[in-house]
Order: sequence, then C-alpha cells, then structure tokens
Amino acid sequence: MPENTNFGFREVPLTEKQTLVDDVFASVARRYDLMNDLMSGGLHRAWKDVLVTAVNPPTKGRPGRLKEKTGRPFTLLDVAGGTGDVAMRVIEAGGEGTRAVVADINGAMLDVGRERARARGLGDVVQFAEGNAEALPFADRSFDAVTIAFGIRNVPRIAQALAEAHRVLRIGGRFLCLEFSSVDVPGLDTLYNLYSFNLIPVLGRIVTDDGEAYRYLVESIRRFPKPQEFAEMIAVAGFRRVTCRPITGGIVALHSGWRL
Amino acid sequence: MSSMPTARPANTVDPKLLEILVCPVTKGPLEYDAARQELISRAAKLAYPIRDGIPIMLADEARRLD
Repeated sequence: MPENTNFGFREVPLTEKQTLVDDVFASVARRYDLMNDLMSGGLHRAWKDVLVTAVNPPTKGRPGRLKEKTGRPFTLLDVAGGTGDVAMRVIEAGGEGTRAVVADINGAMLDVGRERARARGLGDVVQFAEGNAEALPFADRSFDAVTIAFGIRNVPRIAQALAEAHRVLRIGGRFLCLEFSSVDVPGLDTLYNLYSFNLIPVLGRIVTDDGEAYRYLVESIRRFPKPQEFAEMIAVAGFRRVTCRPITGGIVALHSGWRL
Repeated sequence: MSSMPTARPANTVDPKLLEILVCPVTKGPLEYDAARQELISRAAKLAYPIRDGIPIMLADEARRLD
C-alpha cells in the first residue's frame, strides 16, 4: 500500500505531493511576496517581525557601546525560504557577523530570492541552496537558528523535516516555525473562513493568474495539525522548552523549540 | 541576472556555503569539481549540479556515477 498524504483537501500519494507543491510555487514565485501582502493586508510583515525578534541575531549595538557584539558570528538557516524575505530581515536586524543560508526545494523561488539579495547588496551574506526540508544538505550542528515561515505545511513528511532541523542546529540553537494556525476567537473564525475560502482564490487568480494554487494554500492551512499537536511533534523531534504563541487571534502561531 | 557585480564570479558557490554542505543522502563529505561545477558524493555515487552558483542538492536531480 503506498502511503498517502493530503494535498489541500485531496488525498494524494506521499510521493506525488512534492510535485504538486512544486507546481504551485513555480507558478507563483515572482509574485509570491506581493500576494502575501495582499492576502494578509500587510499583516505578514508584522508576523515576520515577531519571528525575527525571536531569532534575536546579535545586534549592532550603539556606537561606542556593546561594540564587542558587533562581529559575533551568527548563521541562520531559513528552510523553504525561497524568496529570501525572512533571511534578509534577520540579516538587517543583526550585526556584521550575521549570515543566512536559504534552502528551498523550488528553483524558481530561489532565483527570485538571489536576484533580490543581489539587488539589495546582500549577495555575499545570503547563500542559496536547492534542497529538501526532509533531507537537508548541511552538516550536523551548522546553524545558530533554523526558521521556517509558512513552509512546514507544504512538507509531505513533517516529522522528518523537524528531525532534520534539529540535526543541523548547534547545541543551544533555536528552531522557530511560523505557520497558519487555528483561529480561536468567536466571530473571527467565521469571518476568516469566508475570507480565505472565497476571496483568497479570487485574489490569487487576479494577481498570479493561478486561483487553484491559492485554493491549495487555503485548504492546506485547514489540514495542518492543530497547534498542540504540532508542538508535540516538535518535542518528539528532540526539541526542548517547546512553546507555541498564537498571534492575531490564532490566524498564525509562532512555534519554538531549543536544541539543548 | 548573471551580470550583477559581486566579489566572486556569479556562477560559483560561496566558499562558506561549501564548508557546511554535505550529501543529503549520506550526510557525508562532498568533493567540489570546479571545472564541471558539480559536488560529488562518492558514498552515494551522485554528482550534484551547480546551476548559476546555486547547488542543487536533490538526489533526483543528481548525475549517477558508476
């Protein structure tokens, strides 16, 4: 019996999901960040700010003070971070020693990311590698932090991706995962359902010419494990001090765990 | 986009990235073939291509070595 997984609300063979997800992102790569702005009314920027604050890269400090922190090396791995959005935010928040590696399974998303990194003069501090979250091409204990923003629900074998994130983190490193969650505010949930199932696919069709891709994104959010269940998976992967923080009424949640 | 000025040629992999890259299948070391722009995993008998400076670390996309 072949193993099945979900692709939005459809059941598909585990091996087929990756191909379907690849098609979605290849189709929308160039307008992905614009769609995020439109879909979330700009809120995704605030959500990513919460993520970057939690990553807490060594800061530049003030002139003449905290100078010893300036060059402290800090390397982030952003998994499924194709367009480089999170990686560049962390670099801009950190000091001279802050660097980032972006891994994504989708070449089209990486091309967009590298183009943007170069345009912003960050070509030497952000590196890009095409790789699978379930089989990361990095040595054990290579990173100070591993992030994945709105990516984990597209991974067919989530437990495997969590184990890989744990493996590549240094001892004392932090795993942070930003993902859509379960809206737990009465009234907001109804509104959110109406908006996401009816408006987002229409918006997707207008902006990226691919309504189906965005129908998948909405459905995949509903199929993702509940926050407590996902926190449990993070703990099973070996992380300690696992926490989950709902943001904006639970539309998204920031999951965290430490490699200790 | 290959015409953007950078410190190193646009089609090569950053040395700091090379230091931490391993074979995604075996997690073993890779040999960098600068001429062919490939990363070779002897243990997995796979050569991972580097496309415009981005290493493609997927077994499905790798060239099989005999």
